[in-house]
Amino acid sequence: MEIQTRQVNDITILSLTGSIDASTAPQVTGPMLGLLARGRLKLVADLGGVDYISSAGLRVFLGVIKEARLKGGDLRLAAVQPDVQHVLDISGFTSFIQFFGDVDSALAGF
Amino acid sequence: MTQRFQITRAAELESLQDFRGFITECCQHYQIPPKTILELKLAVDEACTNIIVHGYKDMDPGSIILSFRIEPDRILVQITDFGHVFEPVETPQPDVQAAFENDELGGLGLYLIYHTMDNIEFQTSEEGNTLTFTKLIKTSSSEK
Repeated sequence: MEIQTRQVNDITILSLTGSIDASTAPQVTGPMLGLLARGRLKLVADLGGVDYISSAGLRVFLGVIKEARLKGGDLRLAAVQPDVQHVLDISGFTSFIQFFGDVDSALAGF
Repeated sequence: MTQRFQITRAAELESLQDFRGFITECCQHYQIPPKTILELKLAVDEACTNIIVHGYKDMDPGSIILSFRIEPDRILVQITDFGHVFEPVETPQPDVQAAFENDELGGLGLYLIYHTMDNIEFQTSEEGNTLTFTKLIKTSSSEK
């Protein structure tokens, strides 16, 4: 799992590459919760490079979104690939997460 | 014609990637829809994660044996471990809305196994715990 982070105004974009399973999920949770703890409350996860997610990865997003929204921020998902979208769909997550086709769309109006 | 495949790995989270890669490799020479391959990887990943986290809890990590049989209209999967008995039970779709309000999102992995696979069975004996399931290969228009 690789994560590259960049800042656009008050929004932090995390570009993830790899698979998110029970082994790699902590590598995603740590940086995201760290950003929230430092007051970076607007997060965009660019999932264009993520080819697979399991329930462990879904729990990461659930936990980060809960924490972000409690603090008045949010996590938006961008460029979700079809295999990841399928897992999100069958898990019932799609009603609670904001999805965008690409990072630029996710940044707009955040 | 039936093809059989088998891989054994340590019951460690780092092995999950190997199991998924093995499934992709086994399927690549057959006309198996990509969605079916994804769901097989997901179900095996979730089952193995449960074995690693719960089955081998407080034990030295043992091994997990993943066996795979590809038949013309179905794929049969068998996962064997030697840890504590952790029998998967059918679980309804977790209430994600409630999980946003509380802390727990229990049973999501089990739900994904039962939602995507067919004929799930669990047996335990002195020779280990064995989870078997089948994935029927359907055309893209009728795929589960």
